[in-house]
Amino acid sequence: MPDASDTLLDAPPCASDPTRESPVVESLPKEPAFRHSRLQRLADRWSHLLFLTCGLLVVALIGGILYFLAARGAGAFLPLAGNTDKVLTLKEVFLSADWDPNSGKFGILPFIAGSLSVTGLALLLAAPTGILTGVFIAKLAPGWMKTLMRQVMDLLVGIPSVVYGIFGLMVVLPWVSGKWLSDSPAAGFAVSAAILAVMIVPTIVSLSTDAFESLPLALEEGSQALGSTRWQAIWHVLIPAARPRLLTATVLGLGRAIGEAMAIQMVIGNNPQWIALMRGATDQTPVLRFLFTPAATLTTELVQELPNTAAGSTWNNLLFAMGLLLYLMTMGIILATRRLGRQRNA
Amino acid sequence: MLSPQTPETKPVKLSVRNMDFRYGEKKVLDGLSLDIHAERVTAIIGPSGCGKSTFLKCFNRIHEVSSAVKVSGDMQIDGVDIYRGGIDEVDLRRRVGMVFQKPNPFPKSIYENVAFGPRLFGVKDRATLDGIVEDALRKSALWDEVKDRLKESATGMSGGQQQRLCIARALAVNPEVLLMDEPCSALDPIATAKIEELIGELKENLTIVIVTHNMQQAARVSDYTAFFWLGKLIEMDLTERIFTTPRERMTEDYLTGRFG
Repeated sequence: MPDASDTLLDAPPCASDPTRESPVVESLPKEPAFRHSRLQRLADRWSHLLFLTCGLLVVALIGGILYFLAARGAGAFLPLAGNTDKVLTLKEVFLSADWDPNSGKFGILPFIAGSLSVTGLALLLAAPTGILTGVFIAKLAPGWMKTLMRQVMDLLVGIPSVVYGIFGLMVVLPWVSGKWLSDSPAAGFAVSAAILAVMIVPTIVSLSTDAFESLPLALEEGSQALGSTRWQAIWHVLIPAARPRLLTATVLGLGRAIGEAMAIQMVIGNNPQWIALMRGATDQTPVLRFLFTPAATLTTELVQELPNTAAGSTWNNLLFAMGLLLYLMTMGIILATRRLGRQRNA
Repeated sequence: MLSPQTPETKPVKLSVRNMDFRYGEKKVLDGLSLDIHAERVTAIIGPSGCGKSTFLKCFNRIHEVSSAVKVSGDMQIDGVDIYRGGIDEVDLRRRVGMVFQKPNPFPKSIYENVAFGPRLFGVKDRATLDGIVEDALRKSALWDEVKDRLKESATGMSGGQQQRLCIARALAVNPEVLLMDEPCSALDPIATAKIEELIGELKENLTIVIVTHNMQQAARVSDYTAFFWLGKLIEMDLTERIFTTPRERMTEDYLTGRFG
């Protein structure tokens, strides 16, 4: 394909119009007075190479991790070299809720369901709160408060997750146990999701604020000029107009939530048999049982058991397969949102 | 167009007396007094920064959306002061519609853009809404172009179509006054001609105030013209008289291009 800029540069200036002789062009010397030095050109070439290398390195890293997880994870299902233990079928792993590695039962449904539950609950709490806080900061807060809140949100994004975990373990768990559940432990999805929500809210708030601030004032004026109130303008015009970017904000929060291990591991109770336990208990309503049964997720199981299993064992291999699953889930979410965002923008 | 020989028969719709407008410490409009007649087109002209857009936005108090402003003096619609009459700005804006300098359709379908206002005021019945939307689109001369793609996004239309959609959107709530803030400044000559034609049709039952930096446009579309300079009203009269025999030297200089 011919490069448009090249042909433009090659064409002599004003060649098509001989009557319009430009005195400036005529007075220019034949040789350009300024040339880039050889050194500069060399530096250009080298910096090009440097950027290319960095880019390739990142791609290689991502691909390498994927390969490593897949290679180790495959050992759970295939009799590969270095495999010291029995292999499993896909069915008994992905379609079974029975997890008891010591008696050879490796159903990982409780972890998948646990990850989805805690992430879903966290989003349910964090997305509306975060988006509405974004509206507040961008549209309603007075100037000084806007600056303050933006800075606080940016700081909160950087707090290590283990700090949230400690807060959950030392403050929230005892408080919930003492207040509402006098005789049972409070560990479970409710507290985990709450901690997770607090963790991802700053991300959602920051990105939502940007989304609302980037909307042209003309939209709000257009709405209010038709006789809408400020709130009607926000609900019916600004939020729908910002929807693609709000979706992105939510998904970035989701990505952070689904991959989080430390904060949840400290408060969720780490009980792979949670589905059975929940079914067996009859002393509370199903919703309460769901929220306050000690449970486990893909990430918490990885953190909990990876150091305790022998390399090459079925259990160990399966943990890598679970890591791969997490990886693919996150990728899938990101790709799906991109496609969704593109469709809405078109 | 109204000529000096025929007497004005229409009542005064908007009346302004000794009006000042302050933005922070700065006085933007200074001691304005003028009358705008119903079912006439009144053009406001003047060099950039003379306060003509600011003045227009006072009639529906839309600048209150983005900044704290201070208006003193009298501004009346049908004899009721719009700043101190206990009038709710939301009610006011329903009666006084506005078309902005740059087309600002909502990122929704063509239909939803026009139905937006009626929906705000509680119209839910589908058939009624359909009727209002068709009527408004016909009035803005857009119906034939869009009747087969009402569900498509408004942001995919051309600039001229978008601006006529914004006019349709304003008409859908049945306003008494339509404010137009340089409605053609972002449009090409053909789209501009369409909007100007539309203004001529709409004034049958609407009071139109249009701000324009295009003097030919003012001469073509308006019955009255007001000339602003540095926040002051220099002269207001029938358009025909302003463009042929202005009373003020300054108006003549501006119209003949000696400054501005």
